[in-house]
Amino acid sequence: MRSLRRLPLLFSKEWRELTVSRAYWLLLLAVGPLVGHGFINAVNLYAEASGVGGGPAALPQGLTPLDGMLAPTFGAYDLAVTLLFPFVAIRLIAAEKESGALKLGLQLPFGVGEMVAAKLLALVAGWIVAWLPGLIAVAMWRAYGGHLYAPETLNLLLGHWLRMLLSAGVAIAAAALAESAASAAIVTLVFTIGTWALDFIAAGRGGWLATVAAYTPTAALRFFERGLLRLSVVFVMSAMALGGLAIAAIWLHTGRKLGARLLRTAVLLGLIAATVWIGSLSRASWDASENRRNSFSRADEAALRQIREPLRVTINLAAEDPRLTDYERGILNKLRRILPRLEVDYAAQSRTGLFEGAEERYGEIWYELGGRKVMNRSTTEPIVVEQLYQLAGIAAPANSDEPVFSGYPLAAHPNGASLVFYALWPLAVISAWGLARHRRR
Amino acid sequence: MNLLTVNGLSKQFGARAVLQNVSFSVRRGEVLGLIGPNGAGKTTLFECLAGVLPSDGGALSTNGQRLAPARRKDALFYLPDGLTPWAQQSVNWALGFFERLYAAPVKATELLDALKLEGLRHARIGSLSKGERKRLLLALGLLTPQPLLMLDEPFDGLDLRQTRDVMALLRSQAERGRALMLSIHQLVDAARVCDRLILLSDGRVAGEGTIDELRAQANLSEGGSPEAGLEEIFLALT
Repeated sequence: MRSLRRLPLLFSKEWRELTVSRAYWLLLLAVGPLVGHGFINAVNLYAEASGVGGGPAALPQGLTPLDGMLAPTFGAYDLAVTLLFPFVAIRLIAAEKESGALKLGLQLPFGVGEMVAAKLLALVAGWIVAWLPGLIAVAMWRAYGGHLYAPETLNLLLGHWLRMLLSAGVAIAAAALAESAASAAIVTLVFTIGTWALDFIAAGRGGWLATVAAYTPTAALRFFERGLLRLSVVFVMSAMALGGLAIAAIWLHTGRKLGARLLRTAVLLGLIAATVWIGSLSRASWDASENRRNSFSRADEAALRQIREPLRVTINLAAEDPRLTDYERGILNKLRRILPRLEVDYAAQSRTGLFEGAEERYGEIWYELGGRKVMNRSTTEPIVVEQLYQLAGIAAPANSDEPVFSGYPLAAHPNGASLVFYALWPLAVISAWGLARHRRR
Repeated sequence: MNLLTVNGLSKQFGARAVLQNVSFSVRRGEVLGLIGPNGAGKTTLFECLAGVLPSDGGALSTNGQRLAPARRKDALFYLPDGLTPWAQQSVNWALGFFERLYAAPVKATELLDALKLEGLRHARIGSLSKGERKRLLLALGLLTPQPLLMLDEPFDGLDLRQTRDVMALLRSQAERGRALMLSIHQLVDAARVCDRLILLSDGRVAGEGTIDELRAQANLSEGGSPEAGLEEIFLALT
């Protein structure tokens, strides 16, 4: 209880430590122009697609703020959280280890868990400040007359927050495990590159590798960028972030014997693995996108939900074949949400499909349901859905009177955005930096 | 009366035994010196006692009860040597942090005055000289409430006048009932400030007691100044 009362003091110490860190101010300095660049390009492209200046316009149905503005603007935060933020998080731990302050810290009337929690809270507070450019961009978009759909906007923001927490967990764990900041940075970088490699290798291979790769930070964020909220992704990202923090708490406790720390780490890793596995079994998901891009029409969904038997889909398309990408996005992701017993087998042997065997099966997609098998080469939604109705012996629903998403064209110029993100934001950050240095005394 | 009893403490780094069956006691209100040659294991002993480093064997007890590593921070506080903690923060902040954290009976302002830190209140900790940093760390230690304060090389980096002032301050703390355990390299300083001494050599306690008691343990005849006597004792027992 006494310790709880002292927590604000500990948080205030960590916040001060964060705000004296050059790495943090450089992150703030960089994030404004990064977000600004993404935002300005996005608004210009959106305007072009909307037919600005009398040019040819794209189909309005294709114009959604989620794809057109939010994802590219907040994409800057993915970059920042991958390449800049870990250094800020690492410093909070590594500086104390290297200066010897950790030896004092371990004797203060706090648990190591509380120390790590306070550092995380300081990072969260720091990240809220770093989000100001993104929030300014959203406000400017509204000022230009742009539309926002709250569920998909909040879903995307949630994805980026989970991404940040995961990054913080990994960086803090690395800093606690490694001897120096440089080693911790290398460990974090190896983790990041490892997840990219996993993404690359698993793309289109299917099986357990693809299941694991769906939870790499980049892949996980993609779900949110598509307006999909998957409980399993939230669960796995949270479990991994908390796991990283718990590993840090174990390894910062230098008073424990190495064997005890290794044992605790092994138990914790087992717990994380079990939690991640259980979490990944959850099929619950919500389509937060305004244009329901992750869902079949409501009528089709109701009809397809009648399928109770396991549906097995065998795809003879190579990983880099664009038809597979279309099929994944347009069909499989939607099917996965409504058919819990869907099994997918990626049968192609190569990445490109150019050098597949000569048995002429390439391009075939086989559907197997209750012992019945049928082949179709189409990757188009209405054809595939029709095929499934025939295979399952279900009557196709009558034509839906569901309203069609009409899109939100906006031919606006990003007026004032350059001034805000390239001049005013850096100026504000530099001024606040100077002020913080002055007030520190 | 014993405040802390250390029994059979041992520590190995790989195959090298740094502490071997170290046993001694600390009494309330005493200044206990820890002396020994370089590499004797003085810092390792402090770190094991404070629980920032795990020991391989042995136990600590206070008031007859075992003091588990998790409870060490209630009984003792250790100030390591050569730290530059929170280098970007100011002296004022560090003192204020400790003062608020422990609701210390001693006020930071008193310590600023006693340790001649008044003019450095707004200085960055990272910009302090070795001696200034040492005095700041000492002030932080004196703001803690634990009944035992362990200081690693408290006079290192201090000039003669500062050393004498700090010694007087430490003695006044001991008179108020707080026990102090000081690891001291300079035997002259150790002889001046300590009530009793522990002589550590090759990770073992080579002697424990007052200078006279140590002299007897070393089979040396009495006479000469305490400092000169301690040097002879040191050479005889190590």
